[in-house]
Amino acid sequence: MQHFNGVGARIFAFAALAGGGFAMGAPAWAGGTTAGTRIDNRATASYDGPGGTVTVPSNTVSLTVDELLDVTIVSADPGDVQAAPGSTDRVLAFTVTNTGNGDENFVLASAGTLGGDDFDPAVTSIILDNNANGSYDAGIDTVYAAGSNDPQLAPDQSITVFLLSTIPGGAADGNRGRAQLSAEAGTGTGAPGASFAGQGQGGGNAIVGTTGADADASGFYAVTAATVGFVKSAVVADPFGGASAVPGSVITYSLVAAVDGSGTLGNLAVADPIPAGSSYRPGTLTLQGAALSDATDGDAGELASGGIAVRLGNVAGGQVRTVTFQVQVD
Amino acid sequence: MMKHLVLALAALIAPAAAHAANDVALTSAVFVEKTVQANGQQRIVLEPPKLVVPGDKLVFMLAYTNKGATPATDFVVTNPLPGAVAYQSSPDQAAIVSIDGGRSWGTLARLKVKESDGTVRGARPEDVTHVRWTFAKAIPAGQGGKLSFRGIVR
Repeated sequence: MQHFNGVGARIFAFAALAGGGFAMGAPAWAGGTTAGTRIDNRATASYDGPGGTVTVPSNTVSLTVDELLDVTIVSADPGDVQAAPGSTDRVLAFTVTNTGNGDENFVLASAGTLGGDDFDPAVTSIILDNNANGSYDAGIDTVYAAGSNDPQLAPDQSITVFLLSTIPGGAADGNRGRAQLSAEAGTGTGAPGASFAGQGQGGGNAIVGTTGADADASGFYAVTAATVGFVKSAVVADPFGGASAVPGSVITYSLVAAVDGSGTLGNLAVADPIPAGSSYRPGTLTLQGAALSDATDGDAGELASGGIAVRLGNVAGGQVRTVTFQVQVD
Repeated sequence: MMKHLVLALAALIAPAAAHAANDVALTSAVFVEKTVQANGQQRIVLEPPKLVVPGDKLVFMLAYTNKGATPATDFVVTNPLPGAVAYQSSPDQAAIVSIDGGRSWGTLARLKVKESDGTVRGARPEDVTHVRWTFAKAIPAGQGGKLSFRGIVR
Protein backbone atom coordinates (compact mmCIF):
# COMPACT_ATOMS: atom_id res chain seq x y z
CA MET A 1 0.00 0.00 0.00
CA GLN A 2 3.01 2.32 0.07
CA HIS A 3 2.18 2.95 -3.54
CA PHE A 4 -0.43 5.41 -2.40
CA ASN A 5 1.94 7.52 -0.37
CA GLY A 6 4.09 10.39 -1.45
CA VAL A 7 3.50 10.13 -5.15
CA GLY A 8 0.70 12.67 -5.55
CA ALA A 9 2.87 15.32 -7.18
CA ARG A 10 4.40 12.80 -9.53
CA ILE A 11 1.03 11.46 -10.48
CA PHE A 12 -0.04 14.93 -11.46
CA ALA A 13 3.05 15.62 -13.52
CA PHE A 14 2.88 12.41 -15.47
CA ALA A 15 -0.84 12.62 -15.93
CA ALA A 16 -0.44 16.10 -17.34
CA LEU A 17 2.04 14.77 -19.86
CA ALA A 18 -0.40 12.09 -20.85
CA GLY A 19 -3.32 14.48 -21.06
CA GLY A 20 -5.79 13.72 -23.77
CA GLY A 21 -4.12 11.29 -26.10
CA PHE A 22 -3.02 8.40 -24.00
CA ALA A 23 -6.30 6.90 -23.02
CA MET A 24 -7.48 6.90 -26.61
CA GLY A 25 -6.75 3.28 -27.26
CA ALA A 26 -9.32 2.99 -30.01
CA PRO A 27 -10.81 5.52 -32.42
CA ALA A 28 -13.69 7.34 -30.79
CA TRP A 29 -16.28 6.70 -33.48
CA ALA A 30 -19.85 7.49 -32.63
CA GLY A 31 -20.59 3.97 -33.76
CA GLY A 32 -17.90 2.64 -31.45
CA THR A 33 -14.85 0.51 -31.98
CA THR A 34 -14.51 -0.60 -35.58
CA ALA A 35 -15.84 -4.06 -36.32
CA GLY A 36 -13.12 -6.69 -36.48
CA THR A 37 -10.97 -5.02 -33.81
CA ARG A 38 -9.48 -7.62 -31.47
CA ILE A 39 -9.64 -7.20 -27.74
CA ASP A 40 -6.75 -9.10 -26.17
CA ASN A 41 -6.45 -9.10 -22.42
CA ARG A 42 -3.43 -10.33 -20.52
CA ALA A 43 -2.51 -9.54 -16.95
CA THR A 44 0.82 -9.93 -15.19
CA ALA A 45 1.54 -10.91 -11.61
CA SER A 46 4.79 -10.24 -9.83
CA TYR A 47 5.86 -11.29 -6.39
CA ASP A 48 8.90 -12.05 -4.32
CA GLY A 49 9.63 -15.73 -4.04
CA PRO A 50 12.59 -17.51 -2.52
CA GLY A 51 14.67 -16.83 -5.64
CA GLY A 52 13.86 -13.15 -6.02
CA THR A 53 11.17 -11.23 -7.88
CA VAL A 54 9.15 -13.39 -10.22
CA THR A 55 6.89 -12.19 -13.00
CA VAL A 56 4.11 -14.42 -14.27
CA PRO A 57 1.94 -13.57 -17.26
CA SER A 58 -1.60 -14.83 -17.45
CA ASN A 59 -3.09 -16.47 -20.50
CA THR A 60 -4.42 -14.06 -23.13
CA VAL A 61 -8.16 -13.94 -23.66
CA SER A 62 -9.18 -12.63 -27.07
CA LEU A 63 -12.41 -11.56 -28.55
CA THR A 64 -13.32 -9.77 -31.77
CA VAL A 65 -15.65 -6.79 -31.88
CA ASP A 66 -18.63 -7.69 -34.02
CA GLU A 67 -20.30 -5.42 -36.55
CA LEU A 68 -23.26 -3.33 -35.47
CA LEU A 69 -25.67 -2.60 -38.31
CA ASP A 70 -27.14 0.86 -37.86
CA VAL A 71 -28.23 3.64 -40.18
CA THR A 72 -29.99 7.00 -39.91
CA ILE A 73 -31.60 9.27 -42.47
CA VAL A 74 -32.55 12.89 -41.99
CA SER A 75 -34.00 15.42 -44.37
CA ALA A 76 -31.34 17.86 -45.51
CA ASP A 77 -33.83 20.49 -46.64
CA PRO A 78 -34.37 23.49 -44.36
CA GLY A 79 -38.12 23.28 -44.90
CA ASP A 80 -40.72 22.44 -47.51
CA VAL A 81 -39.36 22.52 -51.04
CA GLN A 82 -41.32 24.96 -53.19
CA ALA A 83 -42.71 23.48 -56.37
CA ALA A 84 -45.16 24.50 -59.06
CA PRO A 85 -47.96 22.18 -60.20
CA GLY A 86 -46.83 19.98 -63.08
CA SER A 87 -43.13 20.75 -62.54
CA THR A 88 -40.59 17.96 -62.95
CA ASP A 89 -37.29 17.01 -61.26
CA ARG A 90 -38.14 18.78 -58.05
CA VAL A 91 -35.37 17.93 -55.58
CA LEU A 92 -35.60 16.70 -52.00
CA ALA A 93 -32.29 16.14 -50.20
CA PHE A 94 -31.52 13.60 -47.47
CA THR A 95 -28.46 12.66 -45.45
CA VAL A 96 -27.85 8.93 -44.97
CA THR A 97 -25.34 8.09 -42.21
CA ASN A 98 -23.77 4.78 -41.27
CA THR A 99 -24.04 4.86 -37.48
CA GLY A 100 -22.76 1.30 -37.18
CA ASN A 101 -19.13 0.33 -36.67
CA GLY A 102 -18.28 -1.37 -39.94
CA ASP A 103 -18.14 -0.65 -43.67
CA GLU A 104 -21.59 -1.37 -45.01
CA ASN A 105 -23.53 -1.15 -48.27
CA PHE A 106 -26.94 0.43 -48.02
CA VAL A 107 -29.92 -0.38 -50.23
CA LEU A 108 -32.08 2.67 -50.93
CA ALA A 109 -35.74 2.94 -51.82
CA SER A 110 -38.22 5.75 -52.32
CA ALA A 111 -41.95 6.23 -51.86
CA GLY A 112 -44.28 9.04 -52.88
CA THR A 113 -47.70 7.52 -52.27
CA LEU A 114 -48.02 8.20 -48.57
CA GLY A 115 -50.51 9.57 -46.10
CA GLY A 116 -50.25 12.77 -44.17
CA ASP A 117 -50.22 15.04 -47.19
CA ASP A 118 -52.42 16.61 -49.85
CA PHE A 119 -50.99 15.04 -53.00
CA ASP A 120 -48.63 12.28 -54.05
CA PRO A 121 -45.40 13.39 -55.69
CA ALA A 122 -44.29 10.94 -58.40
CA VAL A 123 -40.68 10.07 -57.48
CA THR A 124 -38.83 9.61 -60.76
CA SER A 125 -35.32 8.85 -59.52
CA ILE A 126 -32.97 8.51 -56.57
CA ILE A 127 -29.69 10.36 -57.11
CA LEU A 128 -26.39 9.93 -55.26
CA ASP A 129 -24.46 13.14 -54.57
CA ASN A 130 -21.28 11.88 -56.23
CA ASN A 131 -19.34 15.12 -55.93
CA ALA A 132 -20.42 15.48 -52.29
CA ASN A 133 -21.32 19.15 -52.60
CA GLY A 134 -24.75 18.73 -51.03
CA SER A 135 -26.66 20.00 -54.04
CA TYR A 136 -28.07 18.20 -57.05
CA ASP A 137 -26.01 18.53 -60.21
CA ALA A 138 -27.83 17.10 -63.20
CA GLY A 139 -25.53 14.91 -65.31
CA ILE A 140 -22.80 14.83 -62.65
CA ASP A 141 -24.53 13.13 -59.74
CA THR A 142 -25.43 9.56 -60.66
CA VAL A 143 -28.77 7.85 -60.74
CA TYR A 144 -29.09 5.14 -58.11
CA ALA A 145 -30.06 1.64 -59.14
CA ALA A 146 -30.62 -0.84 -56.33
CA GLY A 147 -28.06 -3.62 -56.35
CA SER A 148 -25.71 -1.98 -58.80
CA ASN A 149 -24.40 1.12 -57.03
CA ASP A 150 -25.54 0.74 -53.44
CA PRO A 151 -23.49 3.33 -51.58
CA GLN A 152 -20.85 1.87 -49.28
CA LEU A 153 -20.30 3.92 -46.15
CA ALA A 154 -17.54 3.62 -43.58
CA PRO A 155 -18.50 3.99 -39.90
CA ASP A 156 -19.79 7.51 -39.27
CA GLN A 157 -19.68 8.35 -42.97
CA SER A 158 -22.60 10.13 -44.61
CA ILE A 159 -23.84 10.56 -48.15
CA THR A 160 -26.36 13.04 -49.52
CA VAL A 161 -29.13 11.42 -51.54
CA PHE A 162 -31.66 13.29 -53.67
CA LEU A 163 -35.17 12.33 -54.67
CA LEU A 164 -36.42 13.84 -57.92
CA SER A 165 -40.19 14.08 -58.26
CA THR A 166 -42.86 15.28 -60.63
CA ILE A 167 -45.58 17.38 -59.00
CA PRO A 168 -49.13 16.52 -60.16
CA GLY A 169 -50.64 19.19 -62.38
CA GLY A 170 -53.77 19.27 -60.26
CA ALA A 171 -52.02 20.17 -57.03
CA ALA A 172 -53.50 23.39 -55.68
CA ASP A 173 -51.73 26.35 -54.17
CA GLY A 174 -50.66 25.62 -50.59
CA ASN A 175 -50.93 21.82 -50.91
CA ARG A 176 -48.14 19.68 -49.47
CA GLY A 177 -46.87 16.37 -50.80
CA ARG A 178 -44.63 13.94 -48.92
CA ALA A 179 -41.91 11.75 -50.37
CA GLN A 180 -39.78 9.32 -48.43
CA LEU A 181 -36.30 7.85 -48.71
CA SER A 182 -35.45 4.63 -46.91
CA ALA A 183 -32.18 2.76 -46.45
CA GLU A 184 -31.43 -0.77 -45.31
CA ALA A 185 -28.11 -2.30 -44.36
CA GLY A 186 -27.02 -4.64 -47.15
CA THR A 187 -26.07 -7.37 -44.69
CA GLY A 188 -29.60 -7.47 -43.37
CA THR A 189 -32.18 -5.86 -41.13
CA GLY A 190 -34.34 -7.04 -38.30
CA ALA A 191 -35.14 -6.59 -34.65
CA PRO A 192 -32.32 -5.08 -32.62
CA GLY A 193 -30.07 -7.91 -31.50
CA ALA A 194 -30.76 -10.14 -34.50
CA SER A 195 -27.47 -11.50 -35.75
CA PHE A 196 -25.94 -12.70 -38.99
CA ALA A 197 -23.25 -15.23 -38.15
CA GLY A 198 -19.90 -14.62 -39.79
CA GLN A 199 -21.16 -11.73 -41.91
CA GLY A 200 -19.59 -8.90 -39.94
CA GLN A 201 -16.69 -6.85 -41.15
CA GLY A 202 -13.40 -8.32 -40.02
CA GLY A 203 -14.70 -11.86 -39.81
CA GLY A 204 -16.97 -11.49 -36.82
CA ASN A 205 -20.72 -11.55 -36.71
CA ALA A 206 -23.10 -8.80 -37.76
CA ILE A 207 -25.71 -7.68 -35.27
CA VAL A 208 -28.70 -5.46 -35.87
CA GLY A 209 -28.40 -2.33 -33.74
CA THR A 210 -31.01 -0.13 -32.14
CA THR A 211 -32.07 1.39 -35.47
CA GLY A 212 -33.09 -2.02 -36.79
CA ALA A 213 -30.46 -1.48 -39.51
CA ASP A 214 -33.02 0.44 -41.53
CA ALA A 215 -34.20 4.02 -41.52
CA ASP A 216 -36.46 6.33 -43.42
CA ALA A 217 -37.15 10.04 -43.52
CA SER A 218 -39.62 12.24 -45.33
CA GLY A 219 -39.40 15.53 -47.12
CA PHE A 220 -42.25 17.73 -48.27
CA TYR A 221 -43.02 19.58 -51.44
CA ALA A 222 -45.21 22.66 -51.01
CA VAL A 223 -47.09 23.83 -54.06
CA THR A 224 -46.71 27.49 -54.62
CA ALA A 225 -48.94 28.34 -57.53
CA ALA A 226 -49.28 31.84 -58.87
CA THR A 227 -51.69 33.30 -61.43
CA VAL A 228 -51.63 36.63 -63.18
CA GLY A 229 -54.57 38.81 -64.02
CA PHE A 230 -54.29 41.42 -66.76
CA VAL A 231 -56.47 44.48 -66.77
CA LYS A 232 -56.23 47.00 -69.59
CA SER A 233 -57.85 50.39 -69.31
CA ALA A 234 -57.84 53.50 -71.49
CA VAL A 235 -58.26 57.20 -70.81
CA VAL A 236 -59.12 59.40 -73.80
CA ALA A 237 -58.35 63.11 -73.99
CA ASP A 238 -59.55 64.96 -77.08
CA PRO A 239 -57.95 68.17 -78.32
CA PHE A 240 -60.91 70.14 -77.01
CA GLY A 241 -60.64 69.20 -73.37
CA GLY A 242 -63.20 66.41 -73.65
CA ALA A 243 -63.02 62.66 -73.73
CA SER A 244 -64.07 61.91 -77.28
CA ALA A 245 -62.08 59.66 -79.55
CA VAL A 246 -61.59 61.90 -82.49
CA PRO A 247 -58.55 62.43 -84.72
CA GLY A 248 -55.94 64.08 -82.56
CA SER A 249 -57.23 62.57 -79.31
CA VAL A 250 -54.61 61.07 -77.02
CA ILE A 251 -55.40 57.70 -75.52
CA THR A 252 -53.44 56.60 -72.42
CA TYR A 253 -53.47 52.86 -71.99
CA SER A 254 -52.75 51.22 -68.64
CA LEU A 255 -51.82 47.54 -68.49
CA VAL A 256 -52.01 46.22 -64.94
CA ALA A 257 -50.61 42.76 -64.22
CA ALA A 258 -51.60 41.52 -60.77
CA VAL A 259 -49.99 38.25 -59.57
CA ASP A 260 -51.99 36.18 -57.15
CA GLY A 261 -51.06 33.10 -55.07
CA SER A 262 -48.16 32.01 -52.88
CA GLY A 263 -45.73 31.39 -55.70
CA THR A 264 -43.76 33.52 -58.10
CA LEU A 265 -44.25 33.91 -61.81
CA GLY A 266 -40.95 33.85 -63.62
CA ASN A 267 -40.08 36.04 -66.60
CA LEU A 268 -43.46 37.64 -66.83
CA ALA A 269 -43.74 39.81 -69.94
CA VAL A 270 -46.33 42.20 -71.37
CA ALA A 271 -46.86 42.94 -75.03
CA ASP A 272 -49.57 45.06 -76.62
CA PRO A 273 -49.97 46.02 -80.29
CA ILE A 274 -50.59 49.63 -81.20
CA PRO A 275 -54.27 49.73 -82.25
CA ALA A 276 -54.99 50.28 -85.92
CA GLY A 277 -55.85 53.85 -86.71
CA SER A 278 -53.58 55.20 -84.04
CA SER A 279 -49.92 56.02 -83.67
CA TYR A 280 -47.61 55.51 -80.72
CA ARG A 281 -46.57 58.73 -79.04
CA PRO A 282 -42.77 58.49 -78.71
CA GLY A 283 -41.34 58.57 -75.22
CA THR A 284 -44.57 57.69 -73.41
CA LEU A 285 -43.76 54.12 -72.32
CA THR A 286 -43.53 53.71 -68.53
CA LEU A 287 -43.16 50.88 -66.04
CA GLN A 288 -44.29 51.56 -62.47
CA GLY A 289 -44.34 55.26 -63.37
CA ALA A 290 -40.74 55.34 -64.60
CA ALA A 291 -40.01 56.11 -68.24
CA LEU A 292 -38.64 53.42 -70.52
CA SER A 293 -36.87 54.32 -73.73
CA ASP A 294 -38.47 53.35 -77.02
CA ALA A 295 -35.27 51.78 -78.30
CA THR A 296 -34.34 48.13 -77.80
CA ASP A 297 -31.62 48.64 -75.27
CA GLY A 298 -30.69 47.81 -71.71
CA ASP A 299 -33.95 48.73 -70.06
CA ALA A 300 -36.99 46.54 -69.57
CA GLY A 301 -39.10 47.72 -72.51
CA GLU A 302 -39.22 49.01 -76.08
CA LEU A 303 -41.39 49.75 -79.05
CA ALA A 304 -40.97 46.88 -81.47
CA SER A 305 -42.91 45.23 -84.30
CA GLY A 306 -45.81 47.59 -84.09
CA GLY A 307 -46.39 47.24 -80.38
CA ILE A 308 -44.90 47.76 -76.98
CA ALA A 309 -43.07 45.00 -75.13
CA VAL A 310 -42.08 45.13 -71.45
CA ARG A 311 -40.32 42.42 -69.46
CA LEU A 312 -41.52 42.36 -65.86
CA GLY A 313 -39.10 39.65 -64.68
CA ASN A 314 -40.00 37.48 -61.69
CA VAL A 315 -43.10 38.71 -59.92
CA ALA A 316 -44.15 37.21 -56.59
CA GLY A 317 -47.74 36.65 -55.55
CA GLY A 318 -49.43 39.77 -54.23
CA GLN A 319 -47.42 42.15 -56.38
CA VAL A 320 -48.69 44.41 -59.17
CA ARG A 321 -46.89 45.78 -62.21
CA THR A 322 -48.31 48.70 -64.18
CA VAL A 323 -47.23 49.60 -67.72
CA THR A 324 -48.57 52.71 -69.49
CA PHE A 325 -48.18 54.16 -72.96
CA GLN A 326 -49.96 56.69 -75.11
CA VAL A 327 -51.24 56.67 -78.70
CA GLN A 328 -52.70 59.42 -80.80
CA VAL A 329 -55.75 58.80 -82.95
CA ASP A 330 -54.87 59.30 -86.61
CA MET B 1 33.88 -37.92 -6.21
CA MET B 2 31.43 -36.88 -3.56
CA LYS B 3 31.94 -33.24 -4.43
CA HIS B 4 31.07 -33.91 -8.04
CA LEU B 5 27.91 -35.64 -7.03
CA VAL B 6 26.81 -32.70 -4.94
CA LEU B 7 27.43 -30.38 -7.84
CA ALA B 8 25.50 -32.63 -10.13
CA LEU B 9 22.63 -32.73 -7.70
CA ALA B 10 22.72 -28.99 -7.39
CA ALA B 11 22.54 -28.74 -11.17
CA LEU B 12 19.52 -30.98 -11.11
CA ILE B 13 17.85 -29.13 -8.31
CA ALA B 14 18.50 -25.61 -9.55
CA PRO B 15 15.98 -25.59 -12.39
CA ALA B 16 13.46 -27.24 -10.14
CA ALA B 17 13.96 -24.55 -7.51
CA ALA B 18 13.51 -21.83 -10.09
CA HIS B 19 10.39 -23.56 -11.25
CA ALA B 20 9.06 -23.72 -7.73
CA ALA B 21 9.46 -19.96 -7.47
CA ASN B 22 7.23 -19.67 -10.53
CA ASP B 23 4.42 -21.55 -8.96
CA VAL B 24 1.93 -18.74 -8.85
CA ALA B 25 -0.62 -19.27 -11.59
CA LEU B 26 -2.59 -16.36 -13.05
CA THR B 27 -5.47 -16.99 -15.40
CA SER B 28 -7.54 -14.42 -17.25
CA ALA B 29 -11.14 -14.75 -18.41
CA VAL B 30 -13.67 -12.38 -19.92
CA PHE B 31 -17.46 -12.40 -19.84
CA VAL B 32 -20.19 -10.25 -21.31
CA GLU B 33 -22.75 -8.92 -18.90
CA LYS B 34 -26.26 -9.33 -20.27
CA THR B 35 -29.62 -8.46 -18.80
CA VAL B 36 -32.09 -11.27 -19.40
CA GLN B 37 -35.79 -11.56 -18.67
CA ALA B 38 -36.64 -14.63 -16.64
CA ASN B 39 -40.05 -15.23 -15.11
CA GLY B 40 -40.93 -11.60 -15.57
CA GLN B 41 -37.86 -10.44 -13.70
CA GLN B 42 -34.71 -8.86 -14.99
CA ARG B 43 -31.61 -10.75 -14.18
CA ILE B 44 -28.01 -9.90 -14.92
CA VAL B 45 -25.98 -12.82 -16.19
CA LEU B 46 -22.42 -13.26 -17.31
CA GLU B 47 -22.09 -15.01 -20.63
CA PRO B 48 -19.12 -16.16 -22.68
CA PRO B 49 -18.38 -13.47 -25.27
CA LYS B 50 -20.02 -14.93 -28.36
CA LEU B 51 -21.29 -11.59 -29.64
CA VAL B 52 -19.54 -8.40 -28.65
CA VAL B 53 -20.44 -4.95 -29.94
CA PRO B 54 -19.57 -1.42 -28.85
CA GLY B 55 -21.36 -0.55 -25.63
CA ASP B 56 -21.31 -4.08 -24.28
CA LYS B 57 -20.28 -4.45 -20.67
CA LEU B 58 -17.35 -6.78 -20.14
CA VAL B 59 -16.22 -8.34 -16.88
CA PHE B 60 -12.58 -9.36 -16.77
CA MET B 61 -11.70 -11.94 -14.14
CA LEU B 62 -8.26 -12.84 -12.93
CA ALA B 63 -7.68 -15.91 -10.77
CA TYR B 64 -4.41 -16.43 -8.94
CA THR B 65 -3.17 -19.41 -6.99
CA ASN B 66 0.06 -19.87 -5.13
CA LYS B 67 0.86 -23.46 -5.99
CA GLY B 68 4.31 -23.21 -4.53
CA ALA B 69 5.54 -24.27 -1.14
CA THR B 70 6.47 -20.79 0.09
CA PRO B 71 4.47 -17.59 0.52
CA ALA B 72 4.52 -15.08 -2.32
CA THR B 73 5.23 -11.66 -0.87
CA ASP B 74 4.81 -8.23 -2.44
CA PHE B 75 2.23 -9.75 -4.73
CA VAL B 76 1.16 -7.33 -7.47
CA VAL B 77 -1.18 -7.98 -10.41
CA THR B 78 -1.18 -5.53 -13.29
CA ASN B 79 -3.66 -5.55 -16.16
CA PRO B 80 -3.18 -3.16 -19.11
CA LEU B 81 -6.56 -2.19 -20.56
CA PRO B 82 -7.07 -3.38 -24.14
CA GLY B 83 -7.36 -0.29 -26.34
CA ALA B 84 -10.95 -0.92 -27.30
CA VAL B 85 -12.10 -1.26 -23.69
CA ALA B 86 -13.06 1.69 -21.47
CA TYR B 87 -12.44 0.93 -17.80
CA GLN B 88 -15.44 1.18 -15.51
CA SER B 89 -14.61 0.00 -12.02
CA SER B 90 -13.23 -2.76 -9.89
CA PRO B 91 -15.07 -4.14 -6.89
CA ASP B 92 -11.76 -4.66 -5.14
CA GLN B 93 -10.90 -1.88 -2.72
CA ALA B 94 -7.20 -2.40 -3.28
CA ALA B 95 -7.36 -1.62 -6.98
CA ILE B 96 -5.39 1.39 -8.17
CA VAL B 97 -5.20 2.69 -11.70
CA SER B 98 -2.91 4.49 -14.09
CA ILE B 99 -3.98 6.92 -16.79
CA ASP B 100 -0.56 7.35 -18.34
CA GLY B 101 0.47 3.93 -19.49
CA GLY B 102 1.64 2.68 -16.11
CA ARG B 103 4.06 5.44 -15.16
CA SER B 104 2.06 6.73 -12.20
CA TRP B 105 -0.62 5.15 -10.09
CA GLY B 106 -3.38 6.08 -7.69
CA THR B 107 -7.06 5.86 -7.02
CA LEU B 108 -9.08 7.39 -9.83
CA ALA B 109 -10.25 10.25 -7.58
CA ARG B 110 -6.63 11.38 -7.06
CA LEU B 111 -5.61 11.45 -10.71
CA LYS B 112 -5.91 14.56 -12.83
CA VAL B 113 -5.83 15.05 -16.59
CA LYS B 114 -4.50 18.19 -18.24
CA GLU B 115 -6.42 18.90 -21.40
CA SER B 116 -4.71 20.26 -24.50
CA ASP B 117 -6.20 23.70 -23.76
CA GLY B 118 -4.48 23.78 -20.38
CA THR B 119 -7.49 23.08 -18.20
CA VAL B 120 -7.20 20.38 -15.57
CA ARG B 121 -9.97 17.96 -14.80
CA GLY B 122 -10.38 14.91 -12.66
CA ALA B 123 -9.58 11.63 -14.37
CA ARG B 124 -12.54 9.68 -15.68
CA PRO B 125 -12.81 5.90 -15.81
CA GLU B 126 -12.33 5.91 -19.58
CA ASP B 127 -8.93 7.59 -19.12
CA VAL B 128 -7.59 4.51 -17.34
CA THR B 129 -4.83 2.64 -19.17
CA HIS B 130 -3.86 0.11 -16.47
CA VAL B 131 -5.42 -1.37 -13.37
CA ARG B 132 -3.31 -2.84 -10.57
CA TRP B 133 -3.80 -4.66 -7.33
CA THR B 134 -1.08 -4.60 -4.69
CA PHE B 135 -1.30 -7.02 -1.78
CA ALA B 136 -0.18 -5.94 1.65
CA LYS B 137 -0.14 -9.53 2.85
CA ALA B 138 1.77 -12.39 1.31
CA ILE B 139 -0.18 -15.10 -0.50
CA PRO B 140 0.35 -18.20 1.62
CA ALA B 141 1.33 -21.41 -0.09
CA GLY B 142 -1.67 -23.19 -1.50
CA GLN B 143 -3.89 -20.11 -1.31
CA GLY B 144 -5.39 -18.03 -4.08
CA GLY B 145 -8.15 -15.65 -4.95
CA LYS B 146 -9.96 -13.75 -7.64
CA LEU B 147 -9.78 -10.21 -8.93
CA SER B 148 -12.07 -8.54 -11.39
CA PHE B 149 -12.79 -5.30 -13.14
CA ARG B 150 -15.46 -4.07 -15.48
CA GLY B 151 -15.11 -2.32 -18.79
CA ILE B 152 -17.22 -1.22 -21.71
CA VAL B 153 -16.42 -1.85 -25.35
CA ARG B 154 -15.66 1.60 -26.78
